Amino acid sequence: MSEGAIHLALFKEIDPAVKAIDTLRGLGIPDQDMSIISGVPYSDRMLGRPMSWTLVPKLAAAGFILGMLIGVVLNLGTPLQYPIHVGGMPLISIPTSLVLTFEFSMLGLLAFTFLGVVWESAFPSFGPKEYHPGISDGQIAVVFTCPPEVHIQVHQSLEALGASWVHRTEAVDI
Amino acid sequence: MTDQPKWGLVIDMDRCNGCTVCITACSMENNVPYVGEDDAGYGRSMQWIRVERYWEGEYPNLVVRFMPVMCQQCGVAPCEPVCPVYATLHSEAEQINLQVYNRCVGTRYCGNNCPYVVRQFNWFDYSSDMPEPLNNQFNPDVTVRRRGVMEKCTFCIQRIRRAEETANAEGRELQDGEFEPACAQACPSDAIVFGLLSNPDSQVSHLVRSARSQRLLLEELGTEPRVIYLKSERGLRS
Amino acid sequence: MTANSVPLPQTRAEEDPHQHLLLDPRPREEMNHMVMEAMTATSRPYWVVIGILATLVAVCLFGAWLYMIIKGMGVAGIRRPTYWGMFITNFVFWIGISHSGTFVSAILRVFKAEFRRPITRAAELMTAFGLAAAGLYPLIHLGRVWLAYWIIPYPNQRWLWPNFRSPLTWDMIAITTYLLSSLMYIYLPLIPDLAMARDRSVGWRYKLYRGMALGWRGTEAEWFRLRTAIQIFAFAIIPVMFSVHTIVSWDFAVTKTPGWHSSIFGPFFVVGAIYSGVSAVAMILSLIRGSMLNMKYFIREEHFDALGKLMLVFSFTWTYFYFNEYLLAWYGGDQSDFYVWNALTRGPYMWLWLLMLFLNIAVPWLTLWNKRVRRNPWLLFAIGFMINLGMYIERYLIVPLMITRSRFPFVWDNYSPRIELVMSVGTLSLFLLLYALASRLIPLIPVWEVQEGQLAFRMRRIGKMEVPSVSEIE
Repeated sequence: MSEGAIHLALFKEIDPAVKAIDTLRGLGIPDQDMSIISGVPYSDRMLGRPMSWTLVPKLAAAGFILGMLIGVVLNLGTPLQYPIHVGGMPLISIPTSLVLTFEFSMLGLLAFTFLGVVWESAFPSFGPKEYHPGISDGQIAVVFTCPPEVHIQVHQSLEALGASWVHRTEAVDI
Repeated sequence: MTDQPKWGLVIDMDRCNGCTVCITACSMENNVPYVGEDDAGYGRSMQWIRVERYWEGEYPNLVVRFMPVMCQQCGVAPCEPVCPVYATLHSEAEQINLQVYNRCVGTRYCGNNCPYVVRQFNWFDYSSDMPEPLNNQFNPDVTVRRRGVMEKCTFCIQRIRRAEETANAEGRELQDGEFEPACAQACPSDAIVFGLLSNPDSQVSHLVRSARSQRLLLEELGTEPRVIYLKSERGLRS
Repeated sequence: MTANSVPLPQTRAEEDPHQHLLLDPRPREEMNHMVMEAMTATSRPYWVVIGILATLVAVCLFGAWLYMIIKGMGVAGIRRPTYWGMFITNFVFWIGISHSGTFVSAILRVFKAEFRRPITRAAELMTAFGLAAAGLYPLIHLGRVWLAYWIIPYPNQRWLWPNFRSPLTWDMIAITTYLLSSLMYIYLPLIPDLAMARDRSVGWRYKLYRGMALGWRGTEAEWFRLRTAIQIFAFAIIPVMFSVHTIVSWDFAVTKTPGWHSSIFGPFFVVGAIYSGVSAVAMILSLIRGSMLNMKYFIREEHFDALGKLMLVFSFTWTYFYFNEYLLAWYGGDQSDFYVWNALTRGPYMWLWLLMLFLNIAVPWLTLWNKRVRRNPWLLFAIGFMINLGMYIERYLIVPLMITRSRFPFVWDNYSPRIELVMSVGTLSLFLLLYALASRLIPLIPVWEVQEGQLAFRMRRIGKMEVPSVSEIE
């Protein structure tokens, strides 16, 4: 993170916003100093940005395995620990074990997916952050750290592209 | 999968005259509540045995045959695996089907899955509503059930346990005919005979091996009941 | 007939592109405002309805339940041999209703059926509240409900675990899984809309949405994670949905009861659930459209058209499964099966059986082929209501009425409900009450998904015809 004030530029359409990203890159602002915030999801390829990555699928798989283990322990472990004979069935009955093992695996998968999103996004986070309420009204915000030497060029070029608002921004409570 | 039967009941349908003393004796012995006229009319009487009546022929040549039906203590009991809390289990030692009143939460799944429809449910607190001094008749060897609990014939497990413990304490084997459940004890025509099917010399084993034709109820379902019915020579249409 | 007397396609009303929500975009602020207005507007009739529903829930559901707990199960209509009656019928019915949401929001999402966009949340709320209503019944029908916790698997000093071979234990785990998954699946796509509501609220609503939105902004990373998670959920919740109603069907199918012991029950119940669920979605959507502000923009005739087609398709599928059951019982000759079906088709329940066939087969087959009928929200409400009534009768025929004819004619008996009727009214009121409260607490339309869809749709010209064209932007 280079030094410089944090700026937020609001665009009403996606195309000027993407052009703005290219302009900023051309003015020497590296990709990791930029961030796009929007009210509808735009994929990385649409924005021309480096690929995002997330741990959520791996966490989901881990949850699936954990759920499966719980299912196996409950279905196969507990009848061996405390054997009770019912209905002429064997103590370890694979067909009935499959039902609950499946359910616990799916619960693990889905619970860990959800918790993965929450954990990875560091939710809930209520502290001050860069944001503008226009974003949920459909505008696209480009948040970037602007080194002081290109300050004027940045303002000029972004306003030329149609940014409705370009300012230094303090973090706001959201 | 199937174990050898131990305790068994033989019912001679020729001797049964439908007097229903077995039902009364069973209810006295096992604290089966009396539900009152209204509920009995609604089909909620809780007697553990029912004596079914089958009519044959046309008037005036009507013949009625009686068939007492109680819990068949199946070797492969369909009521057992469906209970979510293990309130009904198979006793490996006694080879009968146990009902654990304390554990029952009252889902009534076992009642639905019993093909013989022999399970009863405590719809209300019948026993605690008994007027004094009728409650003095309760058998102290048997739990008094409260509302929400399933129950059924247990082959008078309390008598089985008492006889086995006595025999154990005296250091001897259990004799055939040493005790019997309440229904067998009360039956005036000896239509109900109880004993050890695992002992080839017992009276029940002799009856099972006799020339009389016999049937198990709903044998085709594979439940392996421990109650054997001796058909009459004239046969029973059902 | 000259060539000019045939009207050109553009002139027909339904072909007007502005009929389609996704081809009729409005600015996002305007859509946000419409949804917020619908959510925050509470009129006097609304509060009257809430009051009535709350009273019905308190008296007919919880009051009657408390009475039953204190007195005993005998105040219900069940007796030997029908140990399960209307309570379990209600249970199966509400689980069926709960399949609506997952079908609309998961299966349609997986198949990229764009018409699902505005209706996913309304349908998913039905799932959650249908499960809330259904989940009461395994507790209500217990003889000793104060010991219900014994079915939960946890280590205890009694050295006892529940019986994992019992379908009721499977029920408990499956319904818990499905309820939790559904709640998470409602919540994830709701977060961006909660952020929108947070940005437009003051007072207690601001605090509520700020807390629930978890600090969502909409950065690329947040969206990427959310989209990934929603994709995983959409795919994974479909097998959960199938498994839940299959497990409920196994409550009946694994028994030895004639009429219940059928290998087709699994798929039959799932199809029946989706059938009644989609019909219920049509009912709820016409209610929402008719009673809330601005909803006529989001929920349009095209959605009812699509739901009507689904209802018809599932009506065919349900009829196919049901005929299977009937034909095999009729042909197979097993005497105990014969007596059960005889009681339904010629015995004392024949009127119910014929009514069910009329409602489930005749009503949709005679009406839903017609596009004008399908596009009319109130007609679809009426048809959906009749289908749901027919499906309720179908479950009623299966659960209590089939066990009245056991293998021993000596214990045959009939069934008629007592306090179960009161509690059924209470349950319906609970569902409606929860839904009515939710409609004013969270935005019912996922606006970000609608805008996403509107970005993807455009008109293009092929020959002389203007056609809508969808891009795959996901």
